[in-house]
Amino acid sequence: MTEERFIREVREQQEPLRRFLLALCSGDGALADDIAQDALVRAYVASGSFLGLSKFSTWLFRIAYNCYIDHCRKPKREEVPVDAALSIASGDASDKAFRYQQLYQALDKLPEKEKAAIALFYFEDKNIKEISAILEMPQGTVKYQLSMGRNHLKQHIQL
Amino acid sequence: MKEIEDFLRENKPAVKNNPTFILEARRRMEAVEGIKAEVDRQHKRGRVALIIALVAGLVVGVVATAIAFLYPVDPQSVGEGVWQSVRLFLQNYRQYLLLPVAVLAMLLALVLSRKGVLAS
Repeated sequence: MTEERFIREVREQQEPLRRFLLALCSGDGALADDIAQDALVRAYVASGSFLGLSKFSTWLFRIAYNCYIDHCRKPKREEVPVDAALSIASGDASDKAFRYQQLYQALDKLPEKEKAAIALFYFEDKNIKEISAILEMPQGTVKYQLSMGRNHLKQHIQL
Repeated sequence: MKEIEDFLRENKPAVKNNPTFILEARRRMEAVEGIKAEVDRQHKRGRVALIIALVAGLVVGVVATAIAFLYPVDPQSVGEGVWQSVRLFLQNYRQYLLLPVAVLAMLLALVLSRKGVLAS
């Protein structure tokens, strides 16, 4: 894969990728973009091994998810509280901002796999098969994670 | 449960516009160009080694099958005990004993080339 083609694919995928990582990082936009950059570098270095057996987006999201997991395993330096994340994600104190705050606070309480499954299914409109490939887990496990994630979110989000 | 699903679909996280994102990505990609070239070289070497191994396996398989057909072993000898069979086998095929040695040497060369021992 040439650099130009890689950039073209990345241009198409940058917004979904950043949104996925933003959800995983519970609204911390700066951290999400940092992990996205890291994922793009890793993807570029490994782009010679991309054979096109899966969609480019599936491959890229898998790398991004692995980068996020690596980040979670690192010793924590500075935690950005979810309230601060709200100000990063949205400046005004509108109803929308309140819902984002609720969403990010609820997502922050979910285990990583549930959070990733929820983000991919509801925010990125990926199907179960794609999520299974991205998170490297069987389709039945994805459905279980989604079900558990919904139940956990219901406990933390007031509708 | 429908309510929570609607809430999630209606409140997708909003990504802030970042015009420097791609520029920064390009800058980082240029910085790792050397690493990418080395990784690509290793992939290529791995593919060549795989093809060589496949061809070698095919050739050895064909040769072994041909030998089995050209020099069949007497079935009676099988019943005469393991050591007798081994002795007969060595008698029948002593001229081909170098074949497995050559195969092992090829395999060793492949493994070493994949690890970069021969290239360095």
